Amino acid sequence: MGKPTGFMEYQRLSEAYEPVDKRLKTYKEFVVRLTDEQASVQGARCMDCGIPFCNNGCPVNNIIPDWNDLVYRGHWREAIEVLHSTNNFPEFTGRICPAPCEAACTLNINTDAVGIKSIEHAIIDKAWEEGWVVPQPAEVKTGKKVAVVGSGPAGLAAAQQLARAGHDVTVFEKNDRIGGLLRYGIPDFKMEKSLIDRRVEQLQAEGVVFRTGVLVGAQNVPAGIVNDAKQVVSAEQLKQDFDAVVLAGGSEIPRDLPVPGRELGGVHYALEFLIPQNKQVAGDKPNPISAKGKHVVVIGGGDTGSDCVGTSNRHGAASVTQFELMPMPPEQENKALTWPYWPTKLRTSSSHEEGCERDFAVATKEFIGKNGKVKALKACRLEFKDGKMSEVPGSEFEIKADLVLFAMGFTQPVGGVLEAFGVDKDARGNAKASTDGAGSYTTNVPKVFAAGDMRRGQSLVVWAIREGRQCARAVDEFLMGESLLPR
Amino acid sequence: MMRKCHLNTCPVGVATQDPVLRARFSGQPEHVVNYFFFVAEEVRELMAQLGVRTFDELIGRADLLDMKKGIAHWKAQGLDYSRIFYLPNVPAEVPRLHRETQDHGLDKALDRQLVVLAKPALEKGEKVNIDLPVRNINRTVGAMLSGEVAKRYGHAGLPNDTIHIRLNGTAGQSFGAFLARGVTLELVGEGNDYVGKGLSGGRIIVRPKAEFRGDTPQNIIVGNTVLYGATEGEVYFAGVAGERFAVRNSGATAVVEGVGDHGCEYMTGGTVVVLGETGRNFAAGMSGGVAYVLDEDGTFEQRCNMAQVALEPLPEEIAARKGSESGDELESHGRVDIDHLTMGDELILKGLIERHVRFASSVRAREILNNWGLWRKKFVKVFPHEYRRALTEMAQQREAEKEAA
Repeated sequence: MGKPTGFMEYQRLSEAYEPVDKRLKTYKEFVVRLTDEQASVQGARCMDCGIPFCNNGCPVNNIIPDWNDLVYRGHWREAIEVLHSTNNFPEFTGRICPAPCEAACTLNINTDAVGIKSIEHAIIDKAWEEGWVVPQPAEVKTGKKVAVVGSGPAGLAAAQQLARAGHDVTVFEKNDRIGGLLRYGIPDFKMEKSLIDRRVEQLQAEGVVFRTGVLVGAQNVPAGIVNDAKQVVSAEQLKQDFDAVVLAGGSEIPRDLPVPGRELGGVHYALEFLIPQNKQVAGDKPNPISAKGKHVVVIGGGDTGSDCVGTSNRHGAASVTQFELMPMPPEQENKALTWPYWPTKLRTSSSHEEGCERDFAVATKEFIGKNGKVKALKACRLEFKDGKMSEVPGSEFEIKADLVLFAMGFTQPVGGVLEAFGVDKDARGNAKASTDGAGSYTTNVPKVFAAGDMRRGQSLVVWAIREGRQCARAVDEFLMGESLLPR
Repeated sequence: MMRKCHLNTCPVGVATQDPVLRARFSGQPEHVVNYFFFVAEEVRELMAQLGVRTFDELIGRADLLDMKKGIAHWKAQGLDYSRIFYLPNVPAEVPRLHRETQDHGLDKALDRQLVVLAKPALEKGEKVNIDLPVRNINRTVGAMLSGEVAKRYGHAGLPNDTIHIRLNGTAGQSFGAFLARGVTLELVGEGNDYVGKGLSGGRIIVRPKAEFRGDTPQNIIVGNTVLYGATEGEVYFAGVAGERFAVRNSGATAVVEGVGDHGCEYMTGGTVVVLGETGRNFAAGMSGGVAYVLDEDGTFEQRCNMAQVALEPLPEEIAARKGSESGDELESHGRVDIDHLTMGDELILKGLIERHVRFASSVRAREILNNWGLWRKKFVKVFPHEYRRALTEMAQQREAEKEAA
């Protein structure tokens, strides 16, 4: 709500970044959070518009006008309570959410949106500093046992909600640390991993048990997918030991590019590069893939691609080039057409700012190698006419490439676990379950639920949190006949 | 989007007077045209799906309504819609839509007589006196006559009291609606709801019959929503009015001997004198004009909505001015002429009560005047904050102009 005339008096102030040369030397976060005073002024820009589209633009339906107002008035403690009432992990979303809320902000119709994400960031970081984020163990235990498979944002949100409802929750994670893509996808410079550790401590204090290095269902994890499991638990065992199972294993199968030369050394999926990097930053053995002094080509123009660019630059790559299949989107969206939806426009991430050539409407045709190692990449230009993509004749070109990283999205969950449970899949290979009405988040298998990317396909962290929360309510209703958890 | 039309902060420049925000308005007339084309197109598509060619074919076709979602909604539980959506079993040739003109009986309206009788006034400006009975079937008495006045003389109307109509009995709804300047309606009996609706300069008097033996401040004489949206003119009611008295009044003057709940609601201008009790929520949303309320037992403040107004005692002015009698000062050309900027409160109030005696033969008003010194202290001035601010600014402006001159 803030100040009725605030949007006319104050300019939007975005969070500052540390200078490129400084941040390239470390894997630490470089976003400078707003001061309390700055956040308060930014909160004053919220117009109390009356029909806050941000509230629905946000997948977890954050009650944004309320906490904007509370921050404006300096009521930080109440602000974190309102924020936590809809979002279990605002410190994650306050850092890495693309903020669809801001696209939907009423102020964004013809001027700069309220800096909602920066205010969220300020609220939750202050709350941790002040010691306001404490475990909320359930007062009454139900005696029901729930297994959550996968410890990404969906699994963690579901686990926290279910534990607070009084259930005994065990989270299974095939890798050695908790967090899923939060831990081993997003680089530390975007989100430091101590944030996950302290949340895990909070969940443990609320009664959640974590079992890492345990693969659920089947052994057949395809090549290219990082798997630290030393132990396998069968689907039957899980169904026998628990009253309900939540499948929140994400959508891990990366999209491949089967062109000649694919088998050459130096051609990798993005996560084969990013996961060992995060492990290295955490103190494990060094990343076997190094970009130092190499010509790096990242294929795919999304967030994972950006993370590859940022990490390559920190390695000290000789050059970083990023290819995108689609043509370059406009720098400014036509707000009259796009508001309040998420617009297609050119998004320049902090990693791009650190140094990167970007090329659009490019298709890779071949990897050229020497002694089994990739040396160059052959590509061509594309043109799009009437929604159809075609190669521009004679546009083939070659580019030096010592390291090629595929960041073209993820197609579907690792099938083994769904098959082990006998869960029906939708046409895209995701677990089949609806999200509204009776029976939401339930699969065809009794007492087995699905949420997050494993159900909806690759998506945002904030969507995963939403699904985890909603799924927890569905599980609670299933176990208890009713639920007081929020919808 | 925005729901702040009352704050002057509309960010797209639609509902604001702020020039900076208005500059942000990006609308074009063509957008509206486009919008309606889309609406029409969508309607056409829906109709095509239903197999309907014209709107006439759609009228009354409750069977085509998709009402499942609405009726299944939990808020509609327990409601039976079958009668609302009932389809009478009639042959196709029976029309389902408006086919014949209704007869409103306008040719029998009392005003037809009044217009004929007032002809000398309308045509030559001669003074006319009319005396007729009235019944509650006679609605909006005086409105058509006022139309005739306005056709010939515009809003300026005729000299005060040129057409004097005395009516005996109970008037129907909207007695004296839009009454024009120069017309006086004197009703001996009682009014109904909406007396003086949209009053536009005329004068309305309602007083009881001679044989009435009751106490006027204890008896209703006009109904609810009297003076709704009145802009000019004066009314004198020797009795009590119903609820929402003078709602949205913007300039008329009224004397009444009591009002129901929500008196002077949303009033923006004019003067109201209440010589008796008021209901609760007096002055809700009142932003202009002044009400003088007789507060005999000191409990008025409890019934007044204090959100936008202040209550003040009535200052003693006339005695201070020594001997300068009021009354006539209030009149110019026989019409009441009140200016809250330049005239004293006591002067206005006493003058209006004197007029109430003169026009409505009010026993109550005479009683008050007979012991003015004592009664004066019991009056409370209801003064909206915004109106006070406007008057102060106007006074300063006037002062500045005087100095400049």
